[in-house]
Amino acid sequence: MSSIRLRLLKWLIGPILLINLAGGVLAYKLAALPAASAQAPAPSAAELRRHEQLRLAVLRALVFMEVVFAIASIGLIWFSVGNGLRPLHRLRADLDAREADELAPLDPARVPSELEPVVAAFNGLLEKVSDGARARQDFLANVAHQLRTPLAGLKTQLEWLQVRHAEPETAQSVQLMQAATERMIRQTNQLLALARAEPHHFEKARLEPLALDALVGATIQLFVEQAVRKGIDLGFDLLPAPVTGDRFLLRDLVDNLIDNALRYTPAGGTVTVSCGPADDGTFFRVEDNGPGIPAARRADIFSRYVRLDETSHGSGLGLAIVRDIARVHGARLTVGDAAGGPGVAFTVTFP
Amino acid sequence: MHILVVEDDSVLSDGLARVLGAHGMAVDVVNDGVQADLLLQRPDAAEVVVLDIGLPGLDGFEVVRRLRARGSRIPVLLLTARDAIEDRVRGLETGADDYLVKPFAAAELVARLRALARRHGAPPAVLAMGHLTLDCATRRARVGGRVVELSLREWTVLEYLLQHGARVVSKQQIIDAILPWGDDLTLNAVEVYISRLRGKIAGAGVAIRTIRGFGYMLEPAP
Repeated sequence: MSSIRLRLLKWLIGPILLINLAGGVLAYKLAALPAASAQAPAPSAAELRRHEQLRLAVLRALVFMEVVFAIASIGLIWFSVGNGLRPLHRLRADLDAREADELAPLDPARVPSELEPVVAAFNGLLEKVSDGARARQDFLANVAHQLRTPLAGLKTQLEWLQVRHAEPETAQSVQLMQAATERMIRQTNQLLALARAEPHHFEKARLEPLALDALVGATIQLFVEQAVRKGIDLGFDLLPAPVTGDRFLLRDLVDNLIDNALRYTPAGGTVTVSCGPADDGTFFRVEDNGPGIPAARRADIFSRYVRLDETSHGSGLGLAIVRDIARVHGARLTVGDAAGGPGVAFTVTFP
Repeated sequence: MHILVVEDDSVLSDGLARVLGAHGMAVDVVNDGVQADLLLQRPDAAEVVVLDIGLPGLDGFEVVRRLRARGSRIPVLLLTARDAIEDRVRGLETGADDYLVKPFAAAELVARLRALARRHGAPPAVLAMGHLTLDCATRRARVGGRVVELSLREWTVLEYLLQHGARVVSKQQIIDAILPWGDDLTLNAVEVYISRLRGKIAGAGVAIRTIRGFGYMLEPAP
């Protein structure tokens, strides 16, 4: 039913007609009684009393019926209004279920005609908001691209300075500048990865059959170096893992999950990266024996800019990127306990 | 090795000249595409070209296209600030040999330039790391002055590791290097060769690190 008015009336028309009909029949009966008594030549006292009793009984029945009808009507109206407003509840539930960045228009076919202008206006607003978000993302991506050349220059110059065995104080200063440059480079790349994973940048045409195990193998050099520097035992268990996906986005996903684990696992810890066939598709898992994540906080970690540990250097974008990439690939991302002990296991299951 | 760097950002081109120079390479720098195109018309312009895509005048794609149209086979490494797939594919289709996304580690650039030069020229006669040297012509390995006796397969594994410097190689890559014809060799056999090699190159200032579940890499040892 596509109109609130019709939805309300549907349940009221029948009972109202019934009440009118019953009322009419009763009124007719009641009017006929005195007429019948007038025709009799001399009603006896006993007959009069009987008539009086009958009239009282009819009156009582009438009052009783009115009360029943009144209660029934209130119940019906209550139910009908609730029923009539159900599309509004559905609309609210639709909106409640959305993530902050889900700005697709509402479906006007699913709402009653009275709400169509409201939904149309709302969709207009959503479109403006989503255009704004898109322009902001494009701007960010553009700025990030522009930053890459000067960052490359800075990094190269610092690398050259570093190998000229300068006096200790200068060397330390150079090292600090290098660390700062690395952080800027990482943030810049994260911004780009985030823009790339945006649903409106995601192109189905780029999907291709890929071997996830080979993709992981191709990215490990930097992580092995990072793990050696931090004293973390980084290991692999890579079985054949065919997926359909975007090569560059999946690389971002793999990079961010491994980087995240290396970042939050203390020196002497273990990080294991595995992939292979799962019951319902193909899995990719990164497991560490770090401090773990309390169950209560697991829902938060995928939102942007959330960091569990304020002292670590990171943008807080990594897991949001992972979530976005998993989502556009139709993959399931879960956080669980690492097998045997503390630590956390991130698992992405591809269909 | 003679390198031509074509990059319009002066901080980056200056940095590249310094870093590559520090690695013993002779570097020429030009700042725009037109100059690069002119210079590259000389056959001895460079052994390898490092070419930025976003150049004033002619862009990097066009410089490579013209270079290949003249029939030159000088290896070209493209530098790109954009990592859009179109850029990478277009660069390689136009005739570039490799690409690197900015910003990059200098060591990565040097390794790739050496790899490009190796693919196009004669392989190096001697591989070295720490006190370990492999003379590829005589197939003789030395730690300091001492000659190390290696079986053919041990030699192949060590040569393969050294060719990759401090980069991770997988067990499967090692198997493929030992047996290019796809014969069967178990992963365990690779572990045996590695463990024998560890014994034989002890004290060479080079260690073979195991990457659990994946492979090995060489690293400097005390």
